[in-house]
Amino acid sequence: MPAKSKSKEEIKTEEEEIETLQETLQDIKTREGIVGYILRGSNSASIDLKDPTKIIDYAILSATSLEAGQDIANTFEVGKVDAIIMEGGDMKILSMIIGDNRLSIFMEKNVDHEKLCKDLNLR
Amino acid sequence: MSKDAYADALKSALNEIKKVCPDVSLSFIFTKDGMMVAKDLETTEETIEKTMRSFQSIEGKEDTIGGLQTLIIDGEEGKVHISYINDMYLALATSKNADVTFLQAITRVIFPTVLKLLESVTPTPLQSTSIQSTPSKQLVVDTLSGFFVGDSVQVDLGLLKEWSELLNRKSVDEVEIEAFGGKATQCKVKELSDQKLEGKGIVRIPEKICKVLEVKKGQLVRVKPLET
Repeated sequence: MPAKSKSKEEIKTEEEEIETLQETLQDIKTREGIVGYILRGSNSASIDLKDPTKIIDYAILSATSLEAGQDIANTFEVGKVDAIIMEGGDMKILSMIIGDNRLSIFMEKNVDHEKLCKDLNLR
Repeated sequence: MSKDAYADALKSALNEIKKVCPDVSLSFIFTKDGMMVAKDLETTEETIEKTMRSFQSIEGKEDTIGGLQTLIIDGEEGKVHISYINDMYLALATSKNADVTFLQAITRVIFPTVLKLLESVTPTPLQSTSIQSTPSKQLVVDTLSGFFVGDSVQVDLGLLKEWSELLNRKSVDEVEIEAFGGKATQCKVKELSDQKLEGKGIVRIPEKICKVLEVKKGQLVRVKPLET
C-alpha cells in the first residue's frame, strides 16, 4: 500500500515540533556534562559538538547505536523503542527516534539521562 | 569442578536470578567475539544469534566512548540491558517497569560475585567451556546448482585449516549446518572451488541441501565441523 502523503497541516505541525525540539536541544547543550548532539531528519541534519574533530566518529556511533538498538528491540519484542542508552568507560549516548528524526545526545557519564528524556517530553 | 560445570553453574545462576526477579524474562551470557557462554531455559538460540549479530555491528565503534559497558534499550513493552562483566556480556530482557536498582544489583554486584566465586573455585578459561569446544561460524549462503555439484558444501580453505588446527586434526571433512529456522543437517565439506569467493564469509550449499535446511541465498547459517 503506498504511503499516504502528508497534508500541509501535518507538515506544519512536524516543523513546529522540530523547532521546539531544537530549542530544547539548545538549552540542553549548555548544561554541564553535555558534549553535544546530532539530530538527523529525512532531508537535513543538525550537529552541535564541542569537539568538531570527532563528528565522523560520533555520527557513525549514533547511527550504529540506533540501528543495533532497533534490531535488538525487535529480537526481544519490546515494542517501539523509546530510548537507547549506550554507556562507555568515558561517556554515554542517549539515542531516540522522534517522528522522522533520529537524535543522539552525547554526554559525560554522570549526566542524568532520565532527566533529559523528561525534558524532551518523551516520558 | 569440570569445564562443563562452569557453564552449568552460570546457567543455574541465570535461572536463579529469574526466580528472584520475575521482571527478568530472558537472560544469557556471551563473549565479545560472539560465543554464547550460558543461557537460561527460555531463551532460544535464535534470539542469542540475532542479538550477537546486532551487537557485533557496534564492535570497533565503541572506542569513541571508551569501550562499551552498558547498552539499554528502553521499549514501550519492555527493556533490554546488556552489561559488560569480566570480559563477558550479560543480556537481560525485563518488563517495562522492572526495578532498576535490583537490576543494577544483579549486573554490578551479584553476577560479578558469582563469576569471581567460580573463578576462585576453578580458573577455567572461557574458551574451554563445553559450548565453545566445537568452533562454529556464521556464514552467508550461496547456492550451488547444476548436475555435477555433488553433496558437499564449500567453505574457505582458511576456515578448514583453522578448524583442523583447533580440533588437532589433519583435516575437516564433514560439517554440521544449522539454519536459524532450526533445521540442521550434516554433510561433506570441501574448499571453495571459486577462489574469488575466498574471505567473503560464504558457504556454498547445493540446492537440494538448501531445501532441506529451508534456506535461500543470502541468508545466514551456522556451520561447525563434526567432531568425529
